[in-house]
Amino acid sequence: MATESPEQFDQVDWNDLSRSGRFDLSINSIGMLVTALPLALLGVYDWRFVGDRTATFEFVGLDRTLETVDFLFIFTLLLAFWYLVLPLYQNPRRTRYYWKEFKRNRPAVVSLGWLGIVFVGGIVGPLVMNAPQQELLIAYQPPVFTSVVDTTPATCVGEVINGRCHGTWQHPLGTTNAGRDVFTMIVYGMTISMQIAFITTTIVATVGITFGTLSAYAGGWVDEIMMRFTDIILSFPTFLMFLLILYIYGAGLGMFIVVFSLFAWGGTARYVRSKSLSISEEEFIKSSRISGASTYQVIRGHVVPNVASSIITQLTLLIPGFLLYEAQLAFLGIGDSTVPSWGQLIAAGRSDLSFAPWIVLAPGIVLFLTILAFNFLGDALLDALNPEAEAENA
Amino acid sequence: MPSDQLLEVEDLTTTFGTDDGTLTAVDGVDFDVDTGETVCIVGESGSGKTVATESITRIIKTPPGEIEGTVRYKGRDLLAMPESELRDIRGNEIAHIFQNPQEAMNHCYTVGWQITEALQIHQDVSDEEARAKAVDLMDRVGIANASARFDDYPHEFSGGQKQRVMIAMALVGDPDLLIADEPTTALDVTVQAQILRLLDELQEEFDMGVLFVTHDLGVVAEIADRIVVMYAGKVMERGGVLDIFDHPAHPYTQQLLECLPEFGGTTVGGIPGTLPDPHDPPDGCRFAPRCEYAEGACRAGEQPEEIEVSPGQRVSCVHYRPGMDPSVVRNDNFEPVGGDGAADGEGGVSRADD
Amino acid sequence: MTEPLLSVRDLKKHYPIRKGIFNRQVGAARAVDGISFDIERGETLGLVGESGCGKSTAASSVIRLEEPTAGEVVFNGNGRENATRNADGTHPNDVTAFDDEELKAFRRGAQMVFQDPSSSFDPRMSIGNAVGELLKIHGMSDRYRRRAIVEDLLERVGLSGNDFDRYPHEFSGGQKQRIALARALVLNPDLIIADEPVSALDVSIQAEILSLIDDLQEEFGLSLLFISHDMSVIRQICDRVAVMYLGEIVEIGPVGEIFTDPQHPYTEALLSSIPTPDPRASVGGIELKGTVPSPTNPPSGCRFHTRCHRVIQPEGVDVDQDDWRGLLNFRESVATGRVDIEQVRESLTAGGEEPTDRAIQAELREEFDIGDSIGDEDLEEAFTESVRLLLDGNAERAGQFLEERVTTPCAQTVPERTVHSPDHESACLRHEGRASAEPNPADD
Ligand code: SF4
Ligand code: SF4
Repeated sequence: MATESPEQFDQVDWNDLSRSGRFDLSINSIGMLVTALPLALLGVYDWRFVGDRTATFEFVGLDRTLETVDFLFIFTLLLAFWYLVLPLYQNPRRTRYYWKEFKRNRPAVVSLGWLGIVFVGGIVGPLVMNAPQQELLIAYQPPVFTSVVDTTPATCVGEVINGRCHGTWQHPLGTTNAGRDVFTMIVYGMTISMQIAFITTTIVATVGITFGTLSAYAGGWVDEIMMRFTDIILSFPTFLMFLLILYIYGAGLGMFIVVFSLFAWGGTARYVRSKSLSISEEEFIKSSRISGASTYQVIRGHVVPNVASSIITQLTLLIPGFLLYEAQLAFLGIGDSTVPSWGQLIAAGRSDLSFAPWIVLAPGIVLFLTILAFNFLGDALLDALNPEAEAENA
Repeated sequence: MPSDQLLEVEDLTTTFGTDDGTLTAVDGVDFDVDTGETVCIVGESGSGKTVATESITRIIKTPPGEIEGTVRYKGRDLLAMPESELRDIRGNEIAHIFQNPQEAMNHCYTVGWQITEALQIHQDVSDEEARAKAVDLMDRVGIANASARFDDYPHEFSGGQKQRVMIAMALVGDPDLLIADEPTTALDVTVQAQILRLLDELQEEFDMGVLFVTHDLGVVAEIADRIVVMYAGKVMERGGVLDIFDHPAHPYTQQLLECLPEFGGTTVGGIPGTLPDPHDPPDGCRFAPRCEYAEGACRAGEQPEEIEVSPGQRVSCVHYRPGMDPSVVRNDNFEPVGGDGAADGEGGVSRADD
Repeated sequence: MTEPLLSVRDLKKHYPIRKGIFNRQVGAARAVDGISFDIERGETLGLVGESGCGKSTAASSVIRLEEPTAGEVVFNGNGRENATRNADGTHPNDVTAFDDEELKAFRRGAQMVFQDPSSSFDPRMSIGNAVGELLKIHGMSDRYRRRAIVEDLLERVGLSGNDFDRYPHEFSGGQKQRIALARALVLNPDLIIADEPVSALDVSIQAEILSLIDDLQEEFGLSLLFISHDMSVIRQICDRVAVMYLGEIVEIGPVGEIFTDPQHPYTEALLSSIPTPDPRASVGGIELKGTVPSPTNPPSGCRFHTRCHRVIQPEGVDVDQDDWRGLLNFRESVATGRVDIEQVRESLTAGGEEPTDRAIQAELREEFDIGDSIGDEDLEEAFTESVRLLLDGNAERAGQFLEERVTTPCAQTVPERTVHSPDHESACLRHEGRASAEPNPADD
């Protein structure tokens, strides 16, 4: 039998092999299926069998509720794990190479660290910290190491020295006008920011890549129609659309994410299309076709990975836009005020800016840093994910 | 020092700062070019031959590059010259043509426009005059019906015609020195023959010195007067074209020649091994790791000094040192199969037992 | 009689040229226009020609990377030996008629190596996976088995098994071409089509790759279709060679014969353009002027007649061959309106006073390499008359006039294939029955 070692290419009995099963899922896909299935079941269960007011995990005695957005978020996290993190682990050589390239960009490394904090804070924070409660008595506590005139807070938690109320570690970033702890609110805001970042990216990437490659490979009038549709999407007044939906259905974070990301993939799709077209001219695509790969295999195996790494930068740079958008809407008061986002926090503190600036400044700075970090990251990724550019200088 | 040489390059060293340390592309190289002669720099890719020629007019980006040494052009040191002065020489008195005409042209402008622009940068001529001159140049480099093609865009030209246009552009300043970097490598053999013939004619017409960079010894044989063989940033051997082809002295040159089908071709199968890492070149002779005649003396110290083996032919190999026996590396089998290889006049020819 | 491994008959690939809002087809670029050849088992056939002659298109049509317009490609490898023609004349092994299933199986029998080592690998796939991909596509789902096979193969092409996980950018051009060979080999094909596999490499590396190809071919009994523009490379590796010009094969024969005794003028010209590593030989030989004409509108008769240095003179004419070539070039230029008499006048004026008609005529003679007097009264008169017409500004008439008066059989008759020796054929009128009328025996 040909299966004896040492294995050699000219001893393979192809007639034997090609009749064998060809359904062959990668580890990644299996993992994705295995983990996404319970999530889907849970989702269905939550949607059909659990009352509006009951917590999702009532059945195990946990008082936790998952919103639609949470389901989506977990789903995107799974995707990211199986198709982004795991492959990095599976291809240590490439990962090391990327990391070596990436490392050169110091600000980007710092940014990555910061985003890591925001990410972990966003995931773990809400699990270990109680949601900030309204406690009017301790409103307007100043952040630690600072002090305010002791007439500002209702009662001062910390020491009062010389008529000034000093901040304490109990509320390291002070409290809001309702006595909520600003630090806790910021951590909860991290969750929101991460949800926005992950879900929008996933939606934009999925729709954009699918649309772009399909359009590129279909060609002819299909391509024509798809691209004109993209033009419409690109010129669509998303904001007005959002306002309209807002007035009809009310605003929610989910609504925001879905509406904005569903109208944001136009540029991505266009880019993907032109990129796919140029990639499909490459000789390695020809050689893949000659090897007998079907069009689907070629797209899935070569076009998408090459397109994906070149749009990662674009996607990374899209996220700050969404975060800012959310903050702006919240600031303008158009948005769901129950969502503990940074924007809402800033909006809540804006009238107290003159005597309690920390309520605006703390989340403002965090937002600013996060947006900056995404921008740095995008730049660094552009350089790191481009092995060809490197080869040329060598 | 008499400066009758058109170009004298002395101790040229070009390094690049990279993440993995300093990369020495050209390491103390000397050569010169006289008016009206063609000097070929021969080497594999990675030998530093292109960097060496681009260092002459400093078209290498600095940083990361760093160029040291002297490059005297008509007695003036180009490397010490301020950029503004150099710009007058570059593209005017010293012209460059490159391997890939596609990339060297701007696709948004007509070919004629690009030639006239090159012309007007260096000469104060009216538009009409410039046009007339450009048409004339296109005509001279063999573009049929030049005036009609003046307004065509680069994509309307074939590869060979583009290279002709590039040559026309290089000629605008009546250059005294033409640096041609693999100008025919990207072209078909038939077109290559056309371009080589054209360069030959133009050299005579303009009385230029030509510095020609190539990896192809077949091309070298057609046009060179003198040859400089480079390997890993160093000169291995230099000499007149007949000397080098008839009795190559350096093992590397011999192996390069053996790669040609006319010298035995496939039986040898190229030169085993790869170029040394330019970040960390080996001690002693750069070619030692791939050299079948290498011995202890080859692996220590610096690249061996150049030793004159026949008038004008110098070779950097320890076996030619006084007291050594050059017959170890000498090999009298060098002549094209069926060709009329001249007799090897050098003494000490070993019985070819390889 | 053994059947050839690959047998190509009358293969055509035309690219339609469409214009206007309705995308109407207004013509076709006849990139490959009816070529036929056979490749025996274990044989290497070279396909040589200038860029634009259609050799790469021929390759991609044979392997069905592009759909051929017409013709038949019979592939008898891959366990499909000894098939006989169907009743309706079609061949069961005709690649052009394969369905998807058969085509996929055919891929195991025929693979390809491309020219550009830098773009022939996916920059985001380790080279081991790039080679193993083929195994996977053809149903080998056991990744350890794939790895073992690929590692073994990488060693056979002169790399190391540890290179499996490295990425294309970590390799030099020559190494990538080795990997490309490994990829082409991994399915154990009978035929490999190599499209200029060494022309992007240094000469020293070319020699390495060529000898590797040679070794592999011997070891695995491969057949090779080797495409190149470089005759010297062809000589090193091929058994037989087919010379292509403008979509047609003009000469085909054993390498030795083609190199020592080329029959077609185009082959002669190609051979003489090889740079010889003999510094004493001057730049010279037969100069092939101009470029390959457009395949959209190929020249009539023999397609090479616009550039042929041996183009035949009509019966009864016997002039210097260079003058004759020059005259034909002149005719061609005038007929296509590419002679700009005003420009000639201008450039002469630049050198002094207004040129006389005589000076212009002399200038034209110079430009087209026509001697001071053509040794034939009729032709001489035709030339002077056409120049006079040109000077009168009657370019169109001049063109017509020349076309009437200066004619060559090469532009009128399509040459048939002449057999010189078994296996050696060429298509040139000089060899046909009329060949005896060849006006001037080689005097170049
Ligand atoms: S010096 Fe030594 S290693 Fe260098 S070429 Fe001569 S023999 Fe070879
Ligand atoms: S048929 Fe005429 S034009 Fe064609 S190759 Fe023969 S001689 Fe030349």
